[in-house]
Parts: sequence; structure tokens; C-alpha cells
Amino acid sequence: MQATTYQADLAKIKEYLLQIIQKQADTQAITWLNEKAQLTSDFNPRSFYIAFGAASRFFNKQPLSLSGAVLPAAKLRQGFQPDTWNLLQTARTCLLLHLPHTDEASYLNILNKLFETADMDEQVALYAALPLLPHPEALVARTADGIRTNMTTVFDAIALHNPYPADYLPEEAWNQMVLKAVFMQRPLYHIDGADQRANDKLARILIDFAHERWAAHRQVMPELWYFIAPYLNVDNIADIEKAVDQGEPLEKEAVLLACAQSPYAAAKTLLAQHPNIEKRIDDGTITWQYIGQSYHQ
Amino acid sequence: MNYIDPHIHAISRTTDDYEAMRDAGIVAIIEPAFWLGQPRTQVGSFQDYFSSLVGWERFRASQFGIQHYCTIGLNSKEANNEPLAEQVMELLPLYLGKEGVVAVGEIGYDDQTAAEDRFFRQQLEMAKDADLPVMIHTPHRDKKQGTTRSMDVCEEYKLSPDMVVIDHNNEETVREVLKRGFWAAFTIYPHTKMGSERMVEIVKQYGPERIIVNSAADWGVSDPLAVPKTANLMRKMGIPEEHIRLTCYQNALDSYGKSGQMKERDWLQPDRVDQRQKFSGNSVLRGGQTPKVDGSSDIVEN
Repeated sequence: MQATTYQADLAKIKEYLLQIIQKQADTQAITWLNEKAQLTSDFNPRSFYIAFGAASRFFNKQPLSLSGAVLPAAKLRQGFQPDTWNLLQTARTCLLLHLPHTDEASYLNILNKLFETADMDEQVALYAALPLLPHPEALVARTADGIRTNMTTVFDAIALHNPYPADYLPEEAWNQMVLKAVFMQRPLYHIDGADQRANDKLARILIDFAHERWAAHRQVMPELWYFIAPYLNVDNIADIEKAVDQGEPLEKEAVLLACAQSPYAAAKTLLAQHPNIEKRIDDGTITWQYIGQSYHQ
Repeated sequence: MNYIDPHIHAISRTTDDYEAMRDAGIVAIIEPAFWLGQPRTQVGSFQDYFSSLVGWERFRASQFGIQHYCTIGLNSKEANNEPLAEQVMELLPLYLGKEGVVAVGEIGYDDQTAAEDRFFRQQLEMAKDADLPVMIHTPHRDKKQGTTRSMDVCEEYKLSPDMVVIDHNNEETVREVLKRGFWAAFTIYPHTKMGSERMVEIVKQYGPERIIVNSAADWGVSDPLAVPKTANLMRKMGIPEEHIRLTCYQNALDSYGKSGQMKERDWLQPDRVDQRQKFSGNSVLRGGQTPKVDGSSDIVEN
């Protein structure tokens, strides 16, 4: 049997999540959760599926409060950010982490059944738990499929505040995720690991997309230029100039921020023509976070 | 005024319908699992259908400001394919406990065959185990007999009548249903089940207690605004406002609310806890699009 790949120490993650749950949930719910988690010694998939759904009868969807947590979540798994989670999905994640997983095939069978029969909130819980699950390589196709969803909350669970896609998705699926996030107008600055996964193919696709938007007399989402910044060159500098000339003020700032981060000389020249914006980039006022927050507020 | 349509197959309806429903005051709907106009041949078709009722269709409704609930069950027509029906019985428990599933339904009789009876009974057992209300589809043919038989079987299984909604009533069935303590739902569906004028007469005669109005709008010629339209007609015909509220809103909430899965605050204080599930930034309405379209204009928004 092949060795199991782990993304995190499961025991520590379970302990961490349980601590948070205990601060927010009532005793009856915690007892129920402990009971269901114990079932793993005499595991019955059917009871597990039912418990996974029925968790909504014990836990509400209050946002998770991490203020009392003993340590930052990212210490347990790089990029792990349960800040945006709710109590119910945390309880469901706890259950997931108790699944027997040493036999990869039967583990994946159970996960597949959960995904196939999941309601909207269950899908959110499942996809947001990706960075914690054992056998992460085996979940790539499932994630790529999840990206095809049109349910915003489900898409967000994969694409935003989630380190799994940057760590495991092949370039093709990663690019589709970013593109779809642009189409769905999602806040790109919440995509984890975006800097490491920028690539020239994605930059080229996004430039083409900008052309389509312009042809349709539509604006371009300013955050898009983040992914193009490392790939400014002779082929796209005309587009950059056009965006600076014709873009809305925020897009102009975004494009010039991309210029500031580009090693391409012509981009630097363009930036130098806008000293006021250059100054605000230099002093850290204009950042991608600022662009994203301003656009999505 | 707020309305609930506690029986509509919204999977067959367009976004225009959803907009019109919301404009007419519909705040919540219940989508019962039913057949799709032709019989399914694989259990996987049922699984995907149930999953869409608790997933995509619920999301789609939310984009128009409408809370979506559903009932899960094997309808009577498709119960006649017994090998398939047996597999569907295996599937049902996976869905009955899910959030927003407010009843087992719609179940009951169509031709009143032995197979229909077998799976009707099995599903009544499941409803008892899951502590869920039951939505009963009464047959089009031999309706009076089929309605009586449905209630007999519910009583045999010791289901409390206030946990059972008998649907698609008419003038011939309503008296017995109310007398036996069940909820009596009426479907305002052109040319087949009930017209809204007849509905007004029924409320005049029987009062509003335990009477529920729905549209059962589906893929046929039907009207997703049947509930608000009937309410308006009641108003014109002098039916007291409180009776309208009970028959077109409150009784649906009181009956299906017994599931614990449907609460008024779901629509009175939407997004109370999860701000990410907001009306904008969705994908049914592509980025930045607003849901209103001027019907008189030839311009399709860019």
C-alpha cells in the first residue's frame, strides 16, 4: 500500500477545531459531535453520510470566532485560514477528519459520495476542507470539477482563502480557476498563493479577455492586472498604455501598480509619467489589497 | 403582503418567473421532489435530481431573494418501477436529514397499484423515523377513493394528522380531510385541479383553518403566481385579510415548519449570519447585472 500524504498533522488540527467549536457550540451539540467522531472505530459509511448532513440540526452558521484560539491556524497548515468559516462547516470538517483514510480507495469512495449528494453548504464545507484532507493528490480532479460550479459560495470555498489550489492544481486547472474568479467578479486578492502561481499563459489569456471586454464596451476588473504584471512585454505594452489612458481611476492605479512591479523598462517609463500615482505606490498606499478592497467594497 | 408557495417545481421555471414571483410578494417556496414528465431509468438520475433540489435550485432561488425549501421522496408514478424504486429507497435517508428538507414528499397514489402502496408505506416509516411532515399527492383518477385511502394508511402508521398535508384537494375531498384533522392543500392549476374562483368559494365555506393554497407550477401550462393571484381574488371577493394570510402564508409555515427546517426569520432576516451569501456577486445574474429588465424595451442590457 502506498504511503498516505498528509497536508497537516490531523490530530493537532482536530484538537484545534474542537477547541474552537467548544467555545461556540452548546453542550448537546458537542456531545453529539464526539459521539459521531467515535463511530470511526466501527465505521459505517451510511451513518457517516447521515451524520454529515444532520450536523445542521446541532450547529448553526455563526461565523467562527478565532479570537480565543491558542495559536494561528497557519501554524498547523500553511495558508490555512478558517477565519471565513462558520461553526457548522467546522463541525463537518471535524467529522471529515475522522474518516478512516489508510485505504485510499475506500476513503475516496466515501468522499465522492459526500460530494455527489452534498447540499450547497455541505459542498462549501467539503471544498474548504481540501487543505486539511489526506491524499491531496487524489483530490485534484474533484477540485477542478468544483471550479466549474456556478454557486458563488461553493466557488469561493475553493478559490478564496484556500491554500489547496495553489499547492496542488496543475497549471491548466489553476488558470481556469483564476479566469472563472474574474468572470464571477470574485475578490482576487483573497486567492491564496497567487504570486507563486502567476504564469505567462494566464497573463496572455487575461490580456485576451481584456480585449473582449473592451470590444464589448465594458470595463476590465482592475485586479486582473495583478496576474499580468510579471509578464509585461513588447507585445502587451500597448494594452497597458490603453488601460492607463482609458481606464477608470482605480483601474489606472492597478495598471500602474503592475508597471511598478514589472522589470520591463517601457513599463517603468510609463509609470514615471504619472508621478502622483507613483508616489502613492512607493509609499505603500496603493497595494493589491487596496485595489481589491476598493473594487469589492 | 408576503406569500409562501408551498408546492412549486421551480426547476422547470425561468428567471422571469422568479422575478415575477418575488415582485408579487413570494418570499419562500417549497419544491417537492416529483417526476420529470417522463420516467427515470437510473437511480443516478434520482441522486442528481435530489442533489440539485438541495444545491443548485436552492442557490438559484436565493439569487432572486426567495428562500427555497424542498421535500424529498419517490413519487407514486415512478414507484411502479420496483427494482428502481428499491434503489431510490436506499438513497432517501441520505437526503432526508439535510438542511431545508421540510417533508417526505410528494408521495402517495397515482394508479393505486400494489407497488405504489408498498413504497408509500415505506416512506411513511421513513418520515416517522426522521420526524418529518409528509406531503401527500392525491391521484387525478379515482381521486376521492385515493384520498381516503391515503389518510387511512397514515392513520394505520400512527402519523399525527397535523404532520400530514393532503395535497390537490377539491370540493369533493376537502370536507373529509379537514374533519379527520389533516392539512388540506389546494393546487390552483389551470384546467385540471382548481381554479382561483373555486378556491375563494372554498375559503368562504370552510374558513381558513388548515387550508393551504399552492400553485404546483411545473413544466406544464401552469402559473407560478397562482398563490398571490388567488390572494388578490380573495381580497376582491371580501375575504378577511387574516384568512388570506393564513391560507397563503401562515398555514404553510405552521405545517412544514414542524420539520424544524423552515423558520420565518430565514426570510425576514436573511443572511443574518453568513454575509458571503449575499444577493450580488452571483452567477445566475452575471457579474454586475441587475435583476430588473424592462419588458417593453427592445434593448438587451450589455
